[in-house]
Amino acid sequence: MTWDQVLELIKSILLTQTGIPNLSLGQVIMILISFFFLYLAVAKEYEPLLLVPIGFGIFLVNFPLAPLMGFTEHGDPELIRAFYKYGVQWEIIPCLIFLGLGAMTDFGPLIANPKTLIIGAGAQLGVFITYCGTLFFGFTLKEAASVGIIGGADGPTTIYLTAMLAPQLLGPNALAAYSYMAMVPLIQPPIMRLMTTPEQRRIKMRQLRPVSAKEKLLFPLVASIFIILLIPAVAPLMGMFMFGNFMRECGVVKRLSDTAQNAMMNIVTILLGLSVGATMQADVFLSWKPMLIFGFGLLDFIICTFGGILTVHIMNLFLKEKMNPLIGSAGVSAVPMAARVSQVEGQKADPDNWLIMHAMGPNLAGVIGSASAAGMFIAMFK
Amino acid sequence: MTKITHRFLKGTFWTWLIPALMMVALVPRTAVWAAFGEDLEKPKPEFTREGDVITAKLIPRAKSTSVSIHFQVSGGRLIDVEGMEFKEAAHPDVDNKDFKSELFVIKIDKVSPGSEVKVSITSDFFSSSTQYWIFNRMSKEPWMNGDVQNVSLPDLVQKLVISVKDGGSFDSDGVADGRITLAGGPKDSFWGYALGTLFIRFFGIFLVLSILMIGMILSGRVFQMLDKKKAMRAKEIQLQPAAATPDVQPAETVGSELATAICVALHLHFSAHRPTVPSHFFTLEISPWLRQGRERIMNARFIPTNRDNRLQNR
Repeated sequence: MTWDQVLELIKSILLTQTGIPNLSLGQVIMILISFFFLYLAVAKEYEPLLLVPIGFGIFLVNFPLAPLMGFTEHGDPELIRAFYKYGVQWEIIPCLIFLGLGAMTDFGPLIANPKTLIIGAGAQLGVFITYCGTLFFGFTLKEAASVGIIGGADGPTTIYLTAMLAPQLLGPNALAAYSYMAMVPLIQPPIMRLMTTPEQRRIKMRQLRPVSAKEKLLFPLVASIFIILLIPAVAPLMGMFMFGNFMRECGVVKRLSDTAQNAMMNIVTILLGLSVGATMQADVFLSWKPMLIFGFGLLDFIICTFGGILTVHIMNLFLKEKMNPLIGSAGVSAVPMAARVSQVEGQKADPDNWLIMHAMGPNLAGVIGSASAAGMFIAMFK
Repeated sequence: MTKITHRFLKGTFWTWLIPALMMVALVPRTAVWAAFGEDLEKPKPEFTREGDVITAKLIPRAKSTSVSIHFQVSGGRLIDVEGMEFKEAAHPDVDNKDFKSELFVIKIDKVSPGSEVKVSITSDFFSSSTQYWIFNRMSKEPWMNGDVQNVSLPDLVQKLVISVKDGGSFDSDGVADGRITLAGGPKDSFWGYALGTLFIRFFGIFLVLSILMIGMILSGRVFQMLDKKKAMRAKEIQLQPAAATPDVQPAETVGSELATAICVALHLHFSAHRPTVPSHFFTLEISPWLRQGRERIMNARFIPTNRDNRLQNR
């Protein structure tokens, strides 16, 4: 073998079998973006359970020639593509997450004060306004709906709807949803203070009535009947959510409930995070659309917070016992972060005011409201 | 991160937000649209023929399931229906998003030259407000409303009937030669649909959650009533044995503090009549005074609880 042949062989190996010559500027930028999200997750602890796998997914998938998100010669999906195909594309993982969420949720505060369901509906205002705004910017109807749902502040719902209607936007939508959910304590307080007077922030609410175990047990059945009959399209999400809750409340399948809350939830979170992160390849992500999605996502959150507080103000016109408008911001379904923000803001106005349990009602209503909004959109595009 | 930096970031977050949103709003719509590239939802029809009827099956814009559109002609013979991409008929005044399906080119022959045929287009995908717009590049105004007759049929099916004259303005070849070529497509207002459905669906969520709320309020009242009844029944059961033994006072009428006070008073009262030499607990080593003191202490400990001791002290 001559020296030239050796050089040619080395050159061929370098060009075809190593990543360095194939690394593009876009991929370098995406790797830097992944570092940013990993930094937010690790150093700032912004939704670390999701941002760590998402960030790492972005990091891995932007290496050239890495067999992760493509298909083999025989058409079989590569590792993360398989997670994506069977988990996200088939819409299994978001539903399993809803199952786990249901098993974790105590509907007591919502059952004790069902009026807060209306706040959950009012807080969907941003979803529909953003839908309209994105249409103006040239998004298709399906894309607009998937961007609009970000404001519902419900990660699995956003992923479920986006995977169904606009899979090409899955990465930016999921990232925007989870990033802004983590930033709820930063986004909401200025709007809450802007929309309430100090007197309104000091309103004390009557302690919630105790809810019996039987009532909690029946709630998932009753809620499923009403919601699924009215919006059948939401059955996969709502059905799993209520099934998880029924397992929790019936008390006879503690092992299953425990698995749904912990082991299963952790596994699907890892798979979901990696799959979502892996959709953010440089050629897809580095365009105008993701930037607009981030802008609209923020606007969406702001309008949803506004909508929730406005709903409480309107309800207070008709109610004898006034509600503290600060609980309106919890109508976005970032559970329990949004409720905690209501509590913190309430205590700033009056250190003796305990709003957390009152805010949990609209918070849970927000989960149902955003899932209903998703169901409405799915039905619309069927 | 220091507090000052944190505050600074918090402050700047809200100061850049508004200009950023304004900038986003000021970006021209067409420029953004151009940046997004191609039309993602291009419907691609597949045609099948069954007798005189040609059926187009396609997934329309903003839908996930396919729909069927049936074409039929009276007064001539339907030769073929073909799909036509919108870009071939693009016009600045016409928005492709108003056309949920692809455009169709309908070819008809065996028409008496110069006479009129009726083209029927039927689908459950159309609504009562669906129009059919005709494209004729030879015409001065290439896009024109087909002035269709929109007929409602059972099972939510709509039938669009267009009258086309051989060699007329709708006929693309423009010649009365016994052959008609009709290009066009069903049109629904994009913004009308988007905003209308937006309004309905937003209030739909209110409706759904309001119904759920009413259901929950009602079931909550039933449960509260049942709980109340249960609590009352439990109270009644508690009270029943108390009525059977009337000589025993109900426990809650005398508190523990009051009972202690009564016992102490009784003790003090009875101890005044105590004999000087007790008949029990006698030992030589202990003086009567000491013994009596011990007994008093011990009895005092039992007073609140032990009735026998109290009697013994008499």
